[in-house]
Amino acid sequence: MNTTRYGLAIVGIIILFAIGLELFFLFSAEYGDGLEKTMEKAGVTEGEPVFKAPLDYGDDYASAFLAGLLGFAILFLVAYGLGRVVIARRAP
Amino acid sequence: MHIPDGLMWPALLGVGWIVSIGMVWYAVRKTRSPLARERIPLMALLGAGIFVAQMLNFPVGGGTTGHLVGAALATIMLGFAPALLVMTLILIVQALMFGDGGVTALGLNILNMAVIGCGVSQLIYGRFGGSMKRGATIAAAWAAVFGGALACAIELGASYWASAGSYGIPMTVALPSMLGYHALIGAGEGILTAGIIAYLHQLLPEIFASPGRQLA
Repeated sequence: MNTTRYGLAIVGIIILFAIGLELFFLFSAEYGDGLEKTMEKAGVTEGEPVFKAPLDYGDDYASAFLAGLLGFAILFLVAYGLGRVVIARRAP
Repeated sequence: MHIPDGLMWPALLGVGWIVSIGMVWYAVRKTRSPLARERIPLMALLGAGIFVAQMLNFPVGGGTTGHLVGAALATIMLGFAPALLVMTLILIVQALMFGDGGVTALGLNILNMAVIGCGVSQLIYGRFGGSMKRGATIAAAWAAVFGGALACAIELGASYWASAGSYGIPMTVALPSMLGYHALIGAGEGILTAGIIAYLHQLLPEIFASPGRQLA
């Protein structure tokens, strides 16, 4: 896979994310996931986190889109960097 | 399905850490190969793509949502061991940078979504992926979500039982609720995974043509 196709794939993922995020805020943002609903059924509330993370997913489209872009970049760079150090350098 | 801090019995959190660290160690050793070196950009792209896909919850009815987990997608593209590493990295970034899933519960989250998710996917796709690719993809994706949810429900029930109600959720509530929701979420995972794999087949035909596509 060459650099151009990687560039196209990244642009494609970001466009799909932008569209999907619109649908998320239209249909899903108000609701919890399967585990959250199970906790709600059992009357269990989520406690305070042990570690306060520096970022969150945002409450509106713009902040969520930026969070997604930031997460995408962090994941790509960390995965690529760790891959080069942990897998590639020590590969037989 | 990201378990928060304070929900599970602390001893069980420890078990999750031990199993996950062992499996990640195994996966690192299995992944080191010249072919894996070539696939590092693809692993990074899949990890980043699955991260944003996990932000997009879709409704499954009854005021509940689910999102793509991506374990089957990563496993079908890369094989069990590298997929496990990619999924683990996503869960670490989510917990440490975005507060999605508790830091103390990271071991159990890795166990449920990465180890079990990728393991179940590999078992099903490895067995049936040769002859019925699309059916095996959908089945692997559904079972990865359902298997992770089953593990999570058992952990909730075990935590409740072991701590005499201080942690977890009674098994009689956790099991039907988790399995019911995730049977539906798994259907969404199956459809999305099959669609993404079909698209990647067009975009990266040489990866799918490679006999050693699944690295380990």
